[in-house]
Amino acid sequence: MANTKTDEKLQKIAKDLLESGEVSLVIGYAKGSNPQRMRPLFITKPEEADKLSFNHHAVQDLAVFLKKPEVKKFGKIGIVVKGCDEKAVNALIQEYQLSRENIKIIGVECNGVIRQNLADKGETGVSESTVYDKCLICEEHTPVLYDFLVESEEPKLNLSGSVKPYAKIEELESMSADEKNAFWAKEFDKCIKCYACRQACPLCYCSRCIVEKNMPQWIDTNSEETGNAQWNLIRAYHLSGRCIGCGECERACPVNIPLMLINEKMARDINNMFGYKSGLDINAKPVFGVFSESDFNDFIK
Amino acid sequence: MEDKDVKKEEHGAPKISGDNSNDPRIIAFVCNWCTYSGADLAGTSRMKYSDNVRVIKLPCTGRIDPLFIVEAFKKGAKGVLVSGCHPGDCHYTSGNYHSRRKYATFRDLLGYLGVDLDRVEFSWVSASEGNKWVSIINEFTDKIKSLPGKSTDIFTKK
Repeated sequence: MANTKTDEKLQKIAKDLLESGEVSLVIGYAKGSNPQRMRPLFITKPEEADKLSFNHHAVQDLAVFLKKPEVKKFGKIGIVVKGCDEKAVNALIQEYQLSRENIKIIGVECNGVIRQNLADKGETGVSESTVYDKCLICEEHTPVLYDFLVESEEPKLNLSGSVKPYAKIEELESMSADEKNAFWAKEFDKCIKCYACRQACPLCYCSRCIVEKNMPQWIDTNSEETGNAQWNLIRAYHLSGRCIGCGECERACPVNIPLMLINEKMARDINNMFGYKSGLDINAKPVFGVFSESDFNDFIK
Repeated sequence: MEDKDVKKEEHGAPKISGDNSNDPRIIAFVCNWCTYSGADLAGTSRMKYSDNVRVIKLPCTGRIDPLFIVEAFKKGAKGVLVSGCHPGDCHYTSGNYHSRRKYATFRDLLGYLGVDLDRVEFSWVSASEGNKWVSIINEFTDKIKSLPGKSTDIFTKK
């Protein structure tokens, strides 16, 4: 398949970076064996740079690899990121998991990525009804922080407002406790405790997750109602105020639990309560690292 | 507390009984410096309050991980109270401010996932507020008792 201008720009940036020795690894996307899918690509040699590519099928958040020890050992790394993925890089820098000096951010302007289930059926057009909900509420089509920017040649995403992103959240908010409980009990009942949500998450970087700590065993490891609810609740809590909304957990979930309904709801409420959005500023303190004397106090007697 | 209330599980950990809606078990996680002293004051002043509550003392509200709340519900508690020093009074300067952010978020999440928010309560009780402790416990117990017998939560088996 022919290279687009975007591909050429990406390849040139990666090649220069590797040739000059500024980075020893570039993480990016390559075309998959199926044209409707993109796969992650790791390159260490300048001559491999011509495999790099980017288009609206580049769904995966590559920032997830930055937490892996086998990637960290490369030292200086270049990474191709969309606006949403870039926020994960920022959050990692904010939480001292990554040093700004060690990363070269190759930002690409993104006008939305196509839902993979639709892409697999042959969908190739970016429109309101074909992209992920996260793209509809995206405010960072151009990454907020980058060392290199590759502009998009594709048309902007047109929003008519006919598709309401995360509409289920308002619906759930208006339900009674019993109805909400019934909804989530049914969803969590499907969970098989594979922890794919955790593995796909760029911000779940603890080398030992709470679910693996068994002295005491905080979270039941059985995959039935009780353990499932605890796991999903605690994971959502640990991501509150940190989740950057890339949606990888939901995409990775083999049983389709709508995890983004929880993450997005918490992101909204954190913003309402504390005026904080995750991943926008590498110099901001994480929301639970600071406090204000005038914080939300209404619920305390 | 009478001995019959504590049933020993096989591995020896006490099981919280209180399935009976007339005798619901309430777990209170309190900080060492303010609320525990407040509760102590209530006791030494011979004030009476509901015996449904079981007090667990920790150094600071900042030490009370939301996992503790989950654990209490999991073990069968009908209500959980978290109580610490008033804002500005924390023995460790800012533990309660940090925890206030955490609880605001965690409470919100619990509510969204379908836990009846009448079952979790947060309060600031200082070492001199024995009266406030008594009224909070009594009111909370009454509230828990008034909940429908099979109140929902996602932590226990249906």
